[in-house]
Amino acid sequence: MKAEGPAGQQYSPGDRCWYLGQGGGNGGGEKWLASGHTLREGPREFPDQLDVECGRKRARQAPSESIVQGKAGGRETVQEAVTSVPPDIKAPSALAKEVQLACWLLVESVWWLIGFGKHEREYSDGGRPPQGRKKGCSSFPGNSGKRSPHYEHGGGEPQPSHLQEDDGNVVKRDVQEDPEVRHSPCTIPGNERTVGWHSEGHMHMTVWGNRKPLEREMRENTQDGTPGSWFRVTIPYGVKYDRTWLMNSIQRHCSVPFTPVDFHFMHTGAEFFVQEASTASALMDVSNKICDEESRKIPVFVSPSAAPYSVQDKLKPEEMEQLKLTLSKRFDVSQQALDLRRLRVDPGLLGHDIDIILNQRSCMAATLQIIKKNFPELLSLNLSSNKLYQLDGLSDIIQMAPTVKILNLSKNKLKYLWELRKIKGLKLEELWLQGNPLCGTFPDQSTYVRAIREYFPKLLRLDGQELPSPVTVEVDTPYEVKPCKGSYFGSDKLKRQVLQFLQQFYLIHDYGDRQCLVGAYHHRAYFSLTIPFHPEDPAPSSLCEYFKDSRNMKKLSDPYLRVQLLKHTNRVIVHTLCVLPKTQHDLSSFVVDTWSQTETMLCFSVSGVFKEVEGSSQDCVRAFTRTFITTPASYSSLCIVNDELFVRDASPSETQSVFSIPAPTPTSSSMHTLSQEQQDIMQASSIPPEVNL
Amino acid sequence: MAMPMDFKTYVDQACKAAEEFVNIYYETMDKRRRVLTRLYLDKATLIWNGNVVTGLEALANFFDTLPSSEFQVNMLDCQPVHEQATQAQTTVLVVTSGTVKFDGNRQRYFNQSFLLTAQSTPNNTVWKIASDCFRFQDWASS
Repeated sequence: MKAEGPAGQQYSPGDRCWYLGQGGGNGGGEKWLASGHTLREGPREFPDQLDVECGRKRARQAPSESIVQGKAGGRETVQEAVTSVPPDIKAPSALAKEVQLACWLLVESVWWLIGFGKHEREYSDGGRPPQGRKKGCSSFPGNSGKRSPHYEHGGGEPQPSHLQEDDGNVVKRDVQEDPEVRHSPCTIPGNERTVGWHSEGHMHMTVWGNRKPLEREMRENTQDGTPGSWFRVTIPYGVKYDRTWLMNSIQRHCSVPFTPVDFHFMHTGAEFFVQEASTASALMDVSNKICDEESRKIPVFVSPSAAPYSVQDKLKPEEMEQLKLTLSKRFDVSQQALDLRRLRVDPGLLGHDIDIILNQRSCMAATLQIIKKNFPELLSLNLSSNKLYQLDGLSDIIQMAPTVKILNLSKNKLKYLWELRKIKGLKLEELWLQGNPLCGTFPDQSTYVRAIREYFPKLLRLDGQELPSPVTVEVDTPYEVKPCKGSYFGSDKLKRQVLQFLQQFYLIHDYGDRQCLVGAYHHRAYFSLTIPFHPEDPAPSSLCEYFKDSRNMKKLSDPYLRVQLLKHTNRVIVHTLCVLPKTQHDLSSFVVDTWSQTETMLCFSVSGVFKEVEGSSQDCVRAFTRTFITTPASYSSLCIVNDELFVRDASPSETQSVFSIPAPTPTSSSMHTLSQEQQDIMQASSIPPEVNL
Repeated sequence: MAMPMDFKTYVDQACKAAEEFVNIYYETMDKRRRVLTRLYLDKATLIWNGNVVTGLEALANFFDTLPSSEFQVNMLDCQPVHEQATQAQTTVLVVTSGTVKFDGNRQRYFNQSFLLTAQSTPNNTVWKIASDCFRFQDWASS
């Protein structure tokens, strides 16, 4: 078996090389080589990868922080089944866990070593989503087999890094000049103190569960010898889990409460920082205590590290103050909106020599801090045109500004929609993403919308456009029933007319001879009466007086009876009315809906309460709804052509309120039959309505 | 005035129309709310607890905003409307009462009245709502 280097070098078993695995399918893809190891053909754990056993003669030679003392007994050399990050984030079980972790960390650190010069002070992995789920895909995210994933900007081929075997913990590299690489080739940003592999050839990773070396590491770390040293906590494959769940689970299992700082995703893992060795130790104990949904134990690894960026680069108080002033100028209190477009070049900052690069963790953290303190009810945040290519820093917004519902991330450098995952906890209603590289990666608008909806299902507007309501419309149906109003008349004229009619009608109905009402009906009018029918309770209660005339078709199916009970002609109607119990209506309880009007017809419904004033149900309070259809008659009065009366028992509250306002009691004289003349007078007079409507 | 048919038939026809219509109306309201406006005339008016809604578009919007419903009718009555009022347009007055539960709200008693007008075609008669009046019995309490 031969392995080919990026420059076409041929390596055979026994050659010294450092082979990190093969990308994308058999025989293809690229390989990373660094000197210091021996290529060996090993058993293939994964179809598309080669295992390489690396031999190392000297323990101190370890080129990365992740090499672990091998398990194979009897071997001097450090054995390492090096694979690239497993294609499936679900940890393959074949290899020993420690070795898998080692491989993973090895890869991570190599990427770190080689690629990220331009992303100083940022944790990002270039914003690439983990591609673990793709079958057969190399777990070099973004590795299409063509170019180096590290040199995103179309840079050159990867160069072999010749890691120098050194006493010290400094790694030297020959790196072909890449304009993107800004940092000195001799240092690893922020990582100088991470690598403790100068001690006994143990990588710090071997201190899992073994506290002592960790403390020893600490003592040997002279740079941050102050108490409150920092530790990096790593959860491999942490990207699988919901951040909130993960952190809560860790907190639950940790004997010491802690504050995670600078949480971020790094390829497939999740990382954050804590202070204090005691915290770090407590966190180490959490390893393999938490089980995920698939009942797999979640390892947690801790190592000493430099202070996190947001701490290292923390803004000075005067800088914070100036930043606060600058932000306040950009805040619109009426809209609860903060406009942070092109924040870096704000004169308020430049003028004070403050460089706020929102891609940098410390700057984003400072901004969020100010938001939390000064704009706690922030609704709208505009981060357009800030060259953002990752949202790790913004992920803290869920704790710092959870009220944000409108977010503008347009015209940034976001390449992967996956970044939205980091702010998934926000309950966004409006989002702007246009002008980011990721927008071009969708075949059509609906795919784009659908993908975004995965992260924000309640989103209403995207890139300025209202979104069509999602399929799950049932979930979004309204709960608000429109508020109820009182009487509706349509016009004052109608109101007067209707009220006058009702007053006269009930005056006669209650206090006069109902026979006199014959003049109010058209001679071929219709009348019917109903009471409710409750299937559970078929026996009518005290409505028996009405029962015999009730024409409730829900109960009455006999067509003959249905005809019989429809009273026809005014004489028949009035005769029926005279037989019904004597009543006293409470006009103040009336509510009237005038619901149909033409030149020849006025239709209205009245609801209210009345009292029975004699007979077996004396003092019983009833409620009613009566629908009148009328036509205009002489003297601007109304002539009834249809009358439908529905009577039911009054509810307790209706009973209580009845007659609370004293009803106008007519004098005893009006109890007698009104003469036709008197009726006419009543009809024509404009009695001011006393109905409280 | 003479009736085109005898009284009994006239009333029967009205009753049948009313019964059928009411079944369809509440079923549509409950289960196919989106097509409910098909049961209304173009210029139909609804007074819903004192709120006026006029025209199909307004009705469509209104029914959209109503939460999903479960109606139970326990009273039904109908009367043919006198032609003096309707100018010879065959019209039936339908009155219903019962309970309704709107999603997210408690169950309430309601009263409703319709004016149905007949639109006759050679094959059949289609009844549509010209006016509609709906009110909760306890409209004054929330």
